[in-house]
Amino acid sequence: MKLTIFNGSPRGEQSNSTILIEQFLIGYNIINSDNVSINYILKSKLEKERKEIFQNADIILIFFPLYTDCMPGIVKKFFEDIADLKINKSKKIGFIVQSGFPEAIHSTFVERYLNKFTKRLKCEYLGTVIKGGVEGIKIMPPFMTKKLFSRFQDLGEYFAKNECFSPEIKKKLLKPYKMSLGRKIMFFIFSKTGMANFYWNSNLKKNNAFEKRFDKPFV
Amino acid sequence: MKITILNGDMNTGDSHFSDYLINLTDKLRENNSVNLFHLNKMNLHYCIGCWSCWWKTPGRCIINDDAEKIFKSVINSDFVIFASPLMAGFISSCLKKITDRLIVLLHPYIEIRNGESHHKKRYDKYPDFGLLLEKEKDTDNEDLNIIKDIYDRFAVNFHSQRKYMKFIDYDKVEDIINETNNI
Repeated sequence: MKLTIFNGSPRGEQSNSTILIEQFLIGYNIINSDNVSINYILKSKLEKERKEIFQNADIILIFFPLYTDCMPGIVKKFFEDIADLKINKSKKIGFIVQSGFPEAIHSTFVERYLNKFTKRLKCEYLGTVIKGGVEGIKIMPPFMTKKLFSRFQDLGEYFAKNECFSPEIKKKLLKPYKMSLGRKIMFFIFSKTGMANFYWNSNLKKNNAFEKRFDKPFV
Repeated sequence: MKITILNGDMNTGDSHFSDYLINLTDKLRENNSVNLFHLNKMNLHYCIGCWSCWWKTPGRCIINDDAEKIFKSVINSDFVIFASPLMAGFISSCLKKITDRLIVLLHPYIEIRNGESHHKKRYDKYPDFGLLLEKEKDTDNEDLNIIKDIYDRFAVNFHSQRKYMKFIDYDKVEDIINETNNI
């Protein structure tokens, strides 16, 4: 059966979701060389076309970043559009939710919604893969992304063989669920040395906005 | 008390839901200062995740639309009502759109709370909020628990508290007013 992917990132092609899809497909293509249809939910002009693609698909994976511990607004709009469809063939749907926060717990609440939404569509739920700590992967040196990319490639390869997510890889990607004591101590030390805010401060300085970082423009 | 009501009704014409909110607003105004925004009648864009509000123009969104009116109203309110008919088992995309963009009111710096990373406050005080919903034909308790839990997570991120979840299907306007006035 043919795989159809929807990328629900509001950053579109420049997103971390795009990078994860690329890595997933490296593994997937080892087993299955069929073309995979990749569709960007961001492109609102293609709304009608996107619904047709969804209607005709057999196996669907929806990738999106976590926004306020939930799906982004554009993904919710997509869900509203497809909820109105009369599904005319059986489908399997899986989700990959990634967040900037390192801990997986942030994404577990929307997972319950995704499960229920798939049931509402009367489709088969393939589960939700959750991965935290994804922000910045575009600029990270290869040694920092090696393990993450390798796991997504393995996830793709397993999916191509079995048409489902590997429970073992899913479990590995879920870590850390919450912040461990070791990480808390490390964060405390980083906070004291200013390292915890390094990513934000370097970008604020690059944009000549560092002095305005505590602005409160609406009071 | 200053109150902001965010109406996520996708219907821009007459609707039972929006009429209910207009009635609620009129009655709340007898004792409060109330701003009612019908989101789908405004020029509002989706958050594009550019983070300009965190590292280019701190505290301000670079999207040039009507959202600043909402940001200003929300952060200067004592209470916010997130109102929406349920669609596909959740609040409308219109209300989700503005919920996403409220990150402009937070600071990018991270703090650890209850073993989780969260963004620090940008402002000294954030408003508590209530949810006012209209059920779909197939809404069940599982749907409602999911919505409640996701908005409780929003409360943690937003340094505030969810005070109630009500339904225009069976909660009278007077009940919402009493509950809101007693906060």
